[in-house]
Amino acid sequence: MSLSMVTGSSYLESLLQGQPQLPSSPLAWLNQLRADAVERASTLKVPTTRDEEWRFTDISPLSNLSFQPVRAESSLSIADAEKFYLEEAAIRLVFVDGVYAPQLSGQPHGTKDVGLVVTNLSEAVAAHAAAIEPHLGRYAGFQDNVFAALNTAFLHDGALILVPRSVVVEKPVHLLFIATQKEVASHPRCLLIAESGSAVTIVEDYVSLQEDAYVTNAVTEIALADNAQVDHIRVQRDSNEAFHIANCAVSLAHASRYRSVSVALGARISRYNLNTLLAAEGAECAIDGLALITGRQLADTHTCIDHAKPHGTSTQSHKCIVDGAAHAVFNGKIVVRPDAQRTDSSQSSRNLLLNAKARVDTKPQLEIFADDVKCAHGATVGQLDNEEVFYLKSRGLSEITARNLLTYAFGAEIIDRISIASLKHRLEQTVLEQTQRN
Amino acid sequence: MSAVLQNLVNQPYKHGFVTDIESDIAPRGLSEDTIKLISAKKDEPEWLLEFRLKAYQQWLKMEEPKWPNVKYPKIDFQAISYYSAPKPKKKLSSMDEVDPELLRTFEKLGVPMHERAALAGVAVDVIFDSVSVATTYKQKLAEVGIIFCSISEAVHMHPELVKQYLGTVVPVGDNYYAALNSAVFTDGTFCFLPKGVKCPMDLSTYFRINTEESGQFERTLIIAEEGASVSYLEGCTAPKFDTNQLHAAVVELVALDNADIKYSTVQNWYAGDENGLGGIYNFVTKRGLAKGVNSRISWTQVETGSAITWKYPSCVLQGDNSVGEFYSVAVTNNYQQADTGTKMVHLGKNTRSTIVSKGISAGHSNNSYRGLVRIAPTAAGARNYSQCDSMLIGGECSANTFPYIQVRNHTAKVEHEASTSKIGEDQLFYFAQRGIGNEEAVSMIINGFCKDVFQQLPMEFAVEATKLLGFKLEGSVG
Repeated sequence: MSLSMVTGSSYLESLLQGQPQLPSSPLAWLNQLRADAVERASTLKVPTTRDEEWRFTDISPLSNLSFQPVRAESSLSIADAEKFYLEEAAIRLVFVDGVYAPQLSGQPHGTKDVGLVVTNLSEAVAAHAAAIEPHLGRYAGFQDNVFAALNTAFLHDGALILVPRSVVVEKPVHLLFIATQKEVASHPRCLLIAESGSAVTIVEDYVSLQEDAYVTNAVTEIALADNAQVDHIRVQRDSNEAFHIANCAVSLAHASRYRSVSVALGARISRYNLNTLLAAEGAECAIDGLALITGRQLADTHTCIDHAKPHGTSTQSHKCIVDGAAHAVFNGKIVVRPDAQRTDSSQSSRNLLLNAKARVDTKPQLEIFADDVKCAHGATVGQLDNEEVFYLKSRGLSEITARNLLTYAFGAEIIDRISIASLKHRLEQTVLEQTQRN
Repeated sequence: MSAVLQNLVNQPYKHGFVTDIESDIAPRGLSEDTIKLISAKKDEPEWLLEFRLKAYQQWLKMEEPKWPNVKYPKIDFQAISYYSAPKPKKKLSSMDEVDPELLRTFEKLGVPMHERAALAGVAVDVIFDSVSVATTYKQKLAEVGIIFCSISEAVHMHPELVKQYLGTVVPVGDNYYAALNSAVFTDGTFCFLPKGVKCPMDLSTYFRINTEESGQFERTLIIAEEGASVSYLEGCTAPKFDTNQLHAAVVELVALDNADIKYSTVQNWYAGDENGLGGIYNFVTKRGLAKGVNSRISWTQVETGSAITWKYPSCVLQGDNSVGEFYSVAVTNNYQQADTGTKMVHLGKNTRSTIVSKGISAGHSNNSYRGLVRIAPTAAGARNYSQCDSMLIGGECSANTFPYIQVRNHTAKVEHEASTSKIGEDQLFYFAQRGIGNEEAVSMIINGFCKDVFQQLPMEFAVEATKLLGFKLEGSVG
């Protein structure tokens, strides 16, 4: 125990190497935020399975490897990156190994006219300091989250999206994070500020050009003002040797609406924490997720939906398809605070085990402190229904085709909720390929 | 309307009185000497003393669990007296010889032993503070070969059975309070059903905590051999005191091939006053081992009392095709805290389990369901269905659900659902429209909410439980 603590903290020190080389920001508060995060990170420990929040996810393999911030310039060509582009997305920000790549990013003329800002955080801090300060680092707390602390310590590059009042952005904004080098730790940071009455769709997309081990430690903060609407699509297609840790914090104001679809396909060990705070009356959120894993992958999703004010609505559907010796973890917490009367919340966790060695640990959790609420949750773990398979066989499908079709349909229910046709199609293909491999 | 509901829940504790019987109390504090004293007082064999000392050594190394969702001041284990027994008089040959004071206590509680025994056909093994005072119907049970007696008696009369099974389901070092119990348990119930015997009547024990500041450490062991079946009832009330009393019981059930054990509890210990002062701490370990094929273990509980309840009656489904069941109603009011639920550990093939849990919280209380369903890699074709519903009455209470589902076999099927609701004004309006007043309407709604569980209770318990819920919640809905 004490030994692992020692190695744990020295490991963090090694991760923090390179932090002092970051250029200091012209903004004093930002430098202060980073300094606080460094201080906090050095007092925290890498979580072990003895911590309740990490009980089923053993991230000790992470400590066996050393990761450094990227040093060498990436040799990524435009052609390599192009295959990940989305045809619907007009605005695109590309980060290679966590570093902003302006030559790959694109933004059409005209977006500036309506005041929409989509830019690299390090460039934006000076111009938009007043808009950023009340939000950056305010939602994704790092007091007891070592990975959020590390990310904040390295806060430099990152995506900033600022949607002004009443602006409706028709086309999705694509944030593309490409990993090209091994043993690199990148700390992507996104900040989305949706002002009142605005609407936007963003795609947070993590991809890899290689099959090596690296760490992505992302933090995303999303602030919705009154009546704002945000569609947040998150696709994690990291390398099967990679470690992907992400924290996303969302704050919803009066009558705002947040919809999220997150799909986890890659990484050896991935962990996604999504915290949504319904901070004012009448807020609404819909959170859906799909994990499709095989081999010795581990996909862990922790969500918390915090109903702090009355008349909030939340729905959540999380699905896992687990093949090989993979391990899926889900922990979905719904909190209804004493104030949050008339909350309507529903949650379901459905899991499909395809192999004898596959494993699922799920824990839907309700904490309710108000009486006039409607809350329900459900969880199931099982395999394909034999009667459904039989029905398809009676229609002339082979056993394997029937099973593949049903598995595909199970996952497609979540992918269907993605509003971008090309991305939807691409993900459907991936699910199909993965199910047919068996 | 809210005033009506307030009145509904806040009925004072009906069973608060102290019986003045001379007790033989051990000095406060816990040490090896205390354990040796208990063991000597009870004239125990050497192996049991070793069992206790081993548990004590383990307990010393353990830490009090922090994970339950309950808050209480730290317990001073040295301030508790670990042994208290009514002074032994001469051996009793009939009910007439029982201390009249003691009999009056049972009258007040509404448990006229002889009457109950005669009318309801129930054998009542009465536990008064820690020692068995009277056991009825033993003769009748002995005819079919059932052993039903206090555990201290069993230690003397059937040492080989006690030695074989004691601590096999709940090991001495299982958890903090189980270890404490193993070290200092004073008495409890022992029940043995030989092969093929179906118990001709429901067995029952009435517990009663007396003597202020004496912790109660009950130990229950029920063994059903191949093909045997039994239904066991446990019911509790306790008098009113202001100092918290610790109750750390251990219950072990063993079911061999084709055996069936049904264990029902109605718990109504003193819950503290409306300001949360006093009340019993109920930290109990209950576990059943469905060891044989086709065996079945069923827990039914109605938990209405205690300041803090911390209890997870569990089933280890080891035999192929074995069945585990858990039906629970937990009611909390005022400042009561309950963290209760179950564990279903599936090890054998085609094992099945059902969990139905209903939580009702009112006042400032906190009611948590915490459950674990674990499907081991060996449990092919295992099946679980869980349902946990909560009802909140008033805006200052809370209801939590912590279900852990761990599946390591892909042929298993696990389902869990949970919901939260309240008694709606529209529902009360509907009743009013039909000429049914608020009080009655609330009681009907709550009974409907708990019906699935009450149906599992033996008849007389079901009646008692319905009444209990009625007066527990009097005045709280509105």
